[in-house]
Parts: sequence; structure tokens; C-alpha cells
Amino acid sequence: MTLEVDNVTSGYVKEVSILRDVNVVAKEGALTGIIGPNGAGKSTLLKTIYGYLRPTQGDVLHHGKSIKGLKPDQMLGQGIAHLIQGHSVFPAMTVEENLELGGWIIKHDRTALDRALAEVYEHYPILKNKRRMVAGAMSGGEQRTLEIARLTMTQPRTILIDEPSVGLMPKLVDTVYEEIVKLKELGYTILIVDQKVHKAVDVADYIYVLRLGQNSHHGPKEEFVDTIEDIIKEWI
Amino acid sequence: MEFSIFVQLIVLGLVRGSMYALMGVGLSLIFGIMEIVNFAHGELFMIGCYIMYFVAAMLGLPFPVGILASGIGLLIVGVILEKGLISTLRKKAGREWLMDSFVLTIGLMVIFQNLALIIFGAVQRGIPNLVYGQMVIGDVVFIYDHMVILSFALLTVGLLWYFVKYTSMGKAIRATSQHSEAAQTLGIDVSRMYSIAFGIGAALAGIAGALLITLFPANPNAGMGPVLKSFVVVILGGLGNIKGAIAAGIFVGLLEAFAVFFLAGGWQNVIVFSIVIAVLVFKPAGLFAPAGERP
Repeated sequence: MTLEVDNVTSGYVKEVSILRDVNVVAKEGALTGIIGPNGAGKSTLLKTIYGYLRPTQGDVLHHGKSIKGLKPDQMLGQGIAHLIQGHSVFPAMTVEENLELGGWIIKHDRTALDRALAEVYEHYPILKNKRRMVAGAMSGGEQRTLEIARLTMTQPRTILIDEPSVGLMPKLVDTVYEEIVKLKELGYTILIVDQKVHKAVDVADYIYVLRLGQNSHHGPKEEFVDTIEDIIKEWI
Repeated sequence: MEFSIFVQLIVLGLVRGSMYALMGVGLSLIFGIMEIVNFAHGELFMIGCYIMYFVAAMLGLPFPVGILASGIGLLIVGVILEKGLISTLRKKAGREWLMDSFVLTIGLMVIFQNLALIIFGAVQRGIPNLVYGQMVIGDVVFIYDHMVILSFALLTVGLLWYFVKYTSMGKAIRATSQHSEAAQTLGIDVSRMYSIAFGIGAALAGIAGALLITLFPANPNAGMGPVLKSFVVVILGGLGNIKGAIAAGIFVGLLEAFAVFFLAGGWQNVIVFSIVIAVLVFKPAGLFAPAGERP
């Protein structure tokens, strides 16, 4: 059990809880998908895990250790990376500078940083070719590749992915999901939230359905293949 | 035009321009990362003047010590202001942040000016020169003070450029200004970057104040002229664009030097502000913003 959300209640202001008693477990090396209608609290859940919001009740555990109350900038140090919604490259910096900043927490260890850089270039040859280019000048798909590659610089154990398909044209969505599957094959534990339910169910090993800030269904993907359409209909 | 006059104007323009660049870069750095317009930038300049006066005139120490003291002093003042007031307000204000930051920095401006008035009085405290004398090559006059101003300003801007471009801290500051949320997820403590950037911006204003003490004697309103010019530089260079601010600073300096020579005094302001209005209307990203790229 890599990442464990244990009975968490959370929200943006004290009086209003968006999530109530939510339980989610992301198993090691698996891709766990969180789906649900608009306003189900999916993004709030990721924000709570990553320390933007502090749970008012319950706990968040990573490899058995509580990460509740840590700030977002301390999470990567705990081995949790986060791909935020929308574009997140540093557009006026070169590809290599972007990647080096991905290794910010290991910046004092130049050999480790160089090794990480070499590994990324091996997995993503396109980035090696364009390493001197400013990231903002690359195509949208290449920028997403850079964002994903940048997450792996410190070899975190768990990666949270928030709405990877938002604002992308359909062709790019496929590319992004290919990259995400590749991350899983590299052994990362992944927790993903996406509006594009079919896409998420497609790649996930285990699914959680949230509704109105609470757990609704959960189970291995196989259990959802047949019922997913019914579940989506329920939302409408 | 005689060649020697042309060279002389270039020299004078570079001296002015290097100062404008120094002030503008600080303002631009602060805006770029925090998106606040620091109306109190001129008062940081003014504090720099007073520190210089205290160190060089009252203590009688060599002027480079005064420049260094102003830089370090304002760095500390900047970090304290950011940590104590600005970041506190940012946490409380949320979306109203822009307006609140205006009120805050305008308030700081008023407070600093009046504090200076109460403590030091409405007296000008200047130093006649940092290095006395001048040198004539051909028909071109090089006033030593001007050379000191030019070389220290270029050195400071150069050091800043190196810091921002090549050091890991500088890269983290640029990353924070381009995408603070992404920077945070990579483990960068963005509130620390805000403090450092504000401190450096303040230090640049302080160094400018120290260098210009022979031209702008320390007094409670010493910063009001220079801050106006730094806003011009920031608008022409593009808000938050450091490279642009350096180029725009030099550009405005040269423009003014030539305008003063060819037209009656005072016209340089008309020309410069006309250009500012034209830029705001036709090229609001600034004259020096690379196409399609954020600063």
C-alpha cells in the first residue's frame, strides 16, 4: 500500500466540507483512477493529498508515514510527484533547464543530477534533441512529454496526475496516455484523476468512483468494464 | 555633428542609461515574480542615499563601502518587508491581491517619506563627488564620477544577470516567475523565492541610490524622480522582462542625452513619455519582448 487516504474530510473553508470520510488506496506499481461527475471532489482530493488543503479529519499516509500537514513543496522530498492541470513547463527556459529544475531537491548532488538527466534523455530522445530549445517554443505534445519527463528526475515513488487531457486536442490525449502507461511500466505508482472517464478506465488497474464528495463505488478495472456506462448514466 | 560631441553624448547617455537599467531591473524582477508593482521602489532608493551619506560622509569610509552597505542594507530591508508585510497580505488577500498590493506599496511610500522627514528633516545631504576630477581624451570629457557610476552600475547589472541566468537559485526564481505552481510541485519553496527576489530588487534600488548621491542628494523625496524613470523603463522593456529592462534603460538614457542636446531642456521627457504612451497602446508587451514568449 503506497498511498493511503484514510477517512479524510476536507474542504476550502472550515464550515464546508467538500470531501467527507473518503478512503482511497493506491497500490504500489499500479495505476489507480479516480472518476466522478463534475463537483464530485476529485481535484479537491488531489489537493488534499498534496498539501494544498489540510484535512480536517482523517489522515494521508505514504508508505505508512503520515504526510498530513506537509506543504506542497515538501512532497517531492517524500517521493510524491504531482502533474498539475494545464500547461506547467517553464516556457522561457530551455528544455534542459526545465529538467534540471525537476531535480531541484537533488541539486547539491551533481552526479545524481547528471545521471537522472542522462536517464531522461535515454527514455525521451526527443527531449535530448531539443534540449537547448526554450520549452515554450515546442509543440503542445512535446511540452506534455517534458512535463512528464521532468517528474521522473528525482525518481519519486508515487505520481499524482490531475486531468491530463484538459485543453488538449484528441490526438494529443492519446499521446499523453501513452506516456502515462509508460510511467506505469517503469514501476511508478500512479493516481490519476480525469474527466475523460473512458480514457482513465482504459489504462487503470483499479477504479474509485467519487460522488458528492464521498466514496461511491470502487474495485478492480474488470468489474467496471461492463457497468461503467450505467454509472455514467447515473451521473446525468 | 562633430564626432567628439557624438561620443560625448553616447557617454552621457550610457551613464544615465545604466542607472535607469539598475532601477528598472529591480522593479521588473519584483513584478515578474510576484506580480506586484512596487510603488515604494523610489523610497528604497532614498534609503540607499541615506545609507551612502551616513557611511561615506559621516563615517568617512571609502565610497565602495557605502555602495556595499546600501546594497546589503536594502537587501535586509527588502526581505523584512516581504516577509513581514507583503507575504502576510498575500496569504490574507487571495484574489484581491493586486489591488491590496497597490495600497500596501503606496502606503509604504508615504510612510518611508514621512519617516525620513521626521528623522532627517527636509535637508539635502549630498556628497560633492565620489572621485574628484575628470579626464579629457580628444575633445571628450570623462568625469570620474560618471565613470564610477557607469562601471558600478554595469558590474551590478552584470552580476544580477549572471545570478539569474546561471545559478540554481536564479533559475528557481525564474521558474517561480514563469509558473509558480509548477515550481512548487518540484520542491521549490516559492515564498522563499519571493523574499529573495524582493530583497534583491530592493538591493538594486539601494545601490542605485548610493551611486547617484552626487546627483540626487539624500532627502525624503529623493526617490520620486528616479522611480518615475524606472516605471518608464519597465513599461518599455516589458513588465517582468529583465533583459528588456536593461535594454530599455540604456535606450532611454541615450535618447535623453541626445534630446537634451538637440532640443531645449525638458523635451526629453516629452519624447520619452510619448514613446511610453505609444508602447502602451501599440505594443503593451514592451519593445523588447521576444515574440510569443513570456518574460
